[in-house]
Amino acid sequence: MTSVIDILLGGLFHAAVLFLVAAGLQLVFGVQKIVNLACGSFYALGAYFGISCVNWALALGLPPSLFLPVLIGSGILMATVAPPIEALLRTVYRRDESFQLLLTFSLVLMTQDVLRIVWGPTPQHLGTLSMTYGKVAVGSVTIPTYNLLVILASIAIAALLGFFLQRTRFGRILRATAENRDMSAALGVNVKWVYASVFTLGTMLGTVGGALVVPTSAASLDMAVELVVEAFAVVVIGGLGSMRGALAGAVIVGLMRAAAVTVYPELEMLAIYLIVIAVLIARPAGLFGKAAI
Amino acid sequence: MLSLNDITVDIQNSRILRGISLAVGAGELVCLVGRNGAGKTTTLRTVMGFLTPLSGTITFNSQPLPGMPTYRVAQLGIGYAPEESEVFGDLTVEENIEMPTWTRPRGRPALERVELAYKVFPKLRQYAKRGGTQLSGGERKMVSIARALALDAPLLLLDEPSEGLSPAIIPTISEGIASIRKLGRGILMAESNVHHIPDYADRLYVIERGEIIFSGKPGDVRTRPEVMRVITGTA
Repeated sequence: MTSVIDILLGGLFHAAVLFLVAAGLQLVFGVQKIVNLACGSFYALGAYFGISCVNWALALGLPPSLFLPVLIGSGILMATVAPPIEALLRTVYRRDESFQLLLTFSLVLMTQDVLRIVWGPTPQHLGTLSMTYGKVAVGSVTIPTYNLLVILASIAIAALLGFFLQRTRFGRILRATAENRDMSAALGVNVKWVYASVFTLGTMLGTVGGALVVPTSAASLDMAVELVVEAFAVVVIGGLGSMRGALAGAVIVGLMRAAAVTVYPELEMLAIYLIVIAVLIARPAGLFGKAAI
Repeated sequence: MLSLNDITVDIQNSRILRGISLAVGAGELVCLVGRNGAGKTTTLRTVMGFLTPLSGTITFNSQPLPGMPTYRVAQLGIGYAPEESEVFGDLTVEENIEMPTWTRPRGRPALERVELAYKVFPKLRQYAKRGGTQLSGGERKMVSIARALALDAPLLLLDEPSEGLSPAIIPTISEGIASIRKLGRGILMAESNVHHIPDYADRLYVIERGEIIFSGKPGDVRTRPEVMRVITGTA
């Protein structure tokens, strides 16, 4: 029983972070039709920048208990890298997907070098800062309160995203633009501005996701590529372009990974990609597959 | 209000429009008639900024349009209802019609503009909460025109408003267009079927292979058998 709760909580924590990155990926694909491999880079940038910001804040005398708002703020601030990158991607919006994949993958590799130059090759971490909030008992298992806060924050962000897309004017304009950009423009929508906003929002989900994960694991140079591999498993399982799919896919991948790590760690990726293959065979469009947000 | 002067447009190295000139005055209903592929849709899409002319000028209220992004053309006050309606399936009828009031908030109050759209096509009110994918071709056409009207634009470009519709729905569309004209809005309507041209049209241009081959009153075209043969497809 203890193992089951362990797997459940560990899996949900990982799913919470994965969801944020995958939601950004889905949002960008849903509206801009760009398969953005660089989402992993945003995650890594958020992680490294988050560590630096927390260290600066602590050095300036900020109480350690306030590290969470600093991490979220640093993630939001890091999303300012999005507009120039989106301007670069404009050159491939109407071109073949292979151009988009090549361009965004080259961004992943370039970011890896930027991380190496700025932060060095050694993994960075925040020590035991995540324990600042103590531990909480869930049944017979105790977990860091921080993990629970991240799960709750991710649920809140998922709810807010749903509300934003379905109930706000801008959300409706996004859905209309996702469906038909030319007709949206003919109704007065500045599509360039919408794309820049969506890309910034998608980037922000990735950078905040990266910032939230660093109190529990180190930031390393290969984290971008590792995350891209998992995020794509999420979108294939959930369905490319579907926000509900991102949620379902993240939970499945998160739980599967936690179960594999607990039972037989060597099977971690194999178990996830067995599900990916099963979904591709049984339901190629994914569980919630439809190319809309 | 709208003036096209000697417009030439190429698409993928093929010349589609060859020196098109036409004008629509405030409150006028002007028809651009021609067979499929004659260049009607290309003309409207060029005005909307989807295509850039190789040469010639387009002005709307003395403001040059070529090079202007499509959203700016719409915000200047040109509403567009395309041939395929292009109603957003993921939005409700109500949201489709309200959308231009969000993107072009200046002018008449949003509520008044939406009410006007429903007044022109009263049938749409009962479908307000229905999704864009749950509509028939005629209903989609009504939403498309109502949505262009809700932009509060002084000029509407209607691309084949009767094309592909059942004969039962065509009178409803025609009545809607007549109501819009009575509101004092200018209309440039592309039409391939000469029988769908309203008698009260102010002017008619006949386009063939990217060139205007006739301009004048609708009644006058019937006295030109060589033009009638072209637009009825018997040439």
